[in-house]
Amino acid sequence: MDRIARIDMGAAGGPKVTFEEVGEYAGLGGRALTSLVIATEVHPLCHPLGAENKLIFAPGMLSGTTGSMTGRLSVGCKSPLTGTIKESNAGGQAAQVLARIGYAAVILEGKPAGDDLYKIIINKDGITVEVDNSLQLMDNYPLVEKLRKEYGDKVAYITIGSAGERQLLAASIACTDPELRPTRHCGRGGVGAVMGAKRVKAIILDDAGMKMRPAKEPEKFRDANRKFVEGLRKHPVTGEGLPAYGTNVLTNVLNEAGGYPTRNFKGGVFEGSAKLSGEAQAELEVKRGGTATHGCHRGCVIQCSGIFNDKDGNYVTKQPEYETVWSHGGHCGIDDLDTVAKLDYMDDNFGLDTIEMGVTIGVAMDAGLAEFGDREAAIRLMEEVGKGTPLGRVLGCGAEITGKVFGVEKVPVVKGQALPAYDPRPIQGIGVTYATTTQGADHTAGYAIATNILKVGGDVDPLKTEGQVELSRNLQIATAAIDSTGMCLFIAFAIMDQPETFQALLDMLGAFYGITMTGDDVVALGKKVLSAERDFNKRAGFTKEHDRLPRFFYTDPIAPHNQTFSVPDEELDQLFNW
Amino acid sequence: MEAPLIHLTLTLPSSLIGEFFPILQQGFLVTAHVGCTLQRLLCRQWGIAPDYVATRITTIFLDSKATDNVETAIVRDGATIALSGAMPGLVGATMRRGGHLAAMRGAMTHQETAADATDRIGTVRVKLFNLLLTELGPVFLKRGILMGCSDVISFFRERDETFWESCDGGNINGTPVGAGLLRTTQPLCVGGSVRLTVNFR
Repeated sequence: MDRIARIDMGAAGGPKVTFEEVGEYAGLGGRALTSLVIATEVHPLCHPLGAENKLIFAPGMLSGTTGSMTGRLSVGCKSPLTGTIKESNAGGQAAQVLARIGYAAVILEGKPAGDDLYKIIINKDGITVEVDNSLQLMDNYPLVEKLRKEYGDKVAYITIGSAGERQLLAASIACTDPELRPTRHCGRGGVGAVMGAKRVKAIILDDAGMKMRPAKEPEKFRDANRKFVEGLRKHPVTGEGLPAYGTNVLTNVLNEAGGYPTRNFKGGVFEGSAKLSGEAQAELEVKRGGTATHGCHRGCVIQCSGIFNDKDGNYVTKQPEYETVWSHGGHCGIDDLDTVAKLDYMDDNFGLDTIEMGVTIGVAMDAGLAEFGDREAAIRLMEEVGKGTPLGRVLGCGAEITGKVFGVEKVPVVKGQALPAYDPRPIQGIGVTYATTTQGADHTAGYAIATNILKVGGDVDPLKTEGQVELSRNLQIATAAIDSTGMCLFIAFAIMDQPETFQALLDMLGAFYGITMTGDDVVALGKKVLSAERDFNKRAGFTKEHDRLPRFFYTDPIAPHNQTFSVPDEELDQLFNW
Repeated sequence: MEAPLIHLTLTLPSSLIGEFFPILQQGFLVTAHVGCTLQRLLCRQWGIAPDYVATRITTIFLDSKATDNVETAIVRDGATIALSGAMPGLVGATMRRGGHLAAMRGAMTHQETAADATDRIGTVRVKLFNLLLTELGPVFLKRGILMGCSDVISFFRERDETFWESCDGGNINGTPVGAGLLRTTQPLCVGGSVRLTVNFR
């Protein structure tokens, strides 16, 4: 990972590839790298689908090593959905393979003049960019099948489906999993539309002849990794809960808390939640010959995913995540896992963000395009997106645009991006993160990272309301740093609860780069990333007034707790003061 | 006249515990001494080890409010208690008992009040989630749970061949009943409530 590749898709005479040393970006990875490149090199007022925007693919700082859980790929750009800076990351094999080939980042620049569609092949010998118009408007599953015939199974694929090609604002970028299924998506923010605007349909990553990235201090690295894995395995969340039930284990708990947004955020409890729960999902998967435990990339010890089969035992999709089950389930009043699984497959196949699409269909139902709970209608609406009909194009551009087109007053978005599966009225602290994150509403922007160990901003009194802002700040700082390592965010619990596991993570980073890494260094990195992102957004025209939830969260109480969002604006405005 | 309580006992292989997950998640009624603390209910009445309560039941909702202190929260007649193991994500950490992120949940935290908490026999609704389904589910089923006749009938009708082939039959009010007859649900069509006990072998 000692160099950066730039591919100017708009160069005269066809795409042009150049290579450079990492230079000022040395030692960075993942979100730190994508966000600093965007903040430094992209005009903040550019059109996200125009030639001035850049699309950056960056493995994490530890990707491509023997370190466990290091397989997240960050993709960054100016978002066409939010207009802000955007980092969206995914698992799958791509980050590991790209890092082993030796790139800290691959940056797509410019925009071709014609209609040709391109594929990019990256291997140890270099990078080639080829026209391949036979791939036009193919969706992800058949696209990968076609590519496999040419490039085989010992590679990783990064692709966009028809949604990305059509530049729909909810379009995702897919990364293949170990079984070469396009199931791992950089989902949020419309990054797939930016790839579509660059006219790049697929990136084929071939690390044949390359080895694992070596650590500067191999024995220390190996020892730290062993302790890190032990910590993950012994923790009840990463060692038991997630492997058994996946992230959908949250459905029952959110519903019980009254924080499960139902029928476009009209209620906090869904009567059909037990049918959608992770526990029910795992039972069904195993009964049908699938699995409730599966890793999205090699080297994952948490294995929070699974395989969802139909009643005849045929593969439908990977195990839908909690947010997907919620968005296509309770948010739309649907209590059927088979319907959710089909919609998840359609999202993955067309190349769409499952959160954005589920919320959008709920908004469409609120507009009267279908009844809440109508399973067939939800599938029909998704089919419209896949066909690229005028209605489908509206829906594929997300909840905010759909709400505007169909006159829906209450649309759950912040900075144009749909809220995830946690109602901010009963759980006020997550509302602070939704409102203030640089990325638009995003539950992963302030994850449950080891802020208690990092002591970012000191301890917080659990009984003080202003503690919510302080906690969200701490979490956002820590998350920005973890997103830069390439580590899966699900390591959060083990490093939060077990200081020795957090130390093992620091030791892995230190041993790999031959430095001493402390908690303060992690905090400094997180602040650096957030400051750059915040500065970009400010220059793009975002002000503190954009750091607010939609008005109805302040005015409409939600049952059963009958609360509104009540964190004062003045407190939200303090979040980035450090 | 009120329909009598039916005492139904089933004997099943332990591999079928998953069949009861929907009931255990949605909640079942249990007779209990109410007006006591949650700790007392869980440990003294239900026999759950204090160490298990402290380390394994990391998330507890009492009437939909996240509960931090089991030693002060009072369980009243008609209460709903949801028990969960450790949860992922920000919200999972937020809901955790006495967790570092408890401030994130604000007013949905359980606050004990001075409302009447008379010590008497009552019923509480219990919900079990995730890891606790397999660990505590058999304990509650062995002690017996209260369900409406119609809910038991629905449960039986939704079971497939595997369940009925593995079922050794049961016992209704002390009288043995074969699996075939149970499957017809006919003995339960008298209405009222059922005290369901399941012995796993």
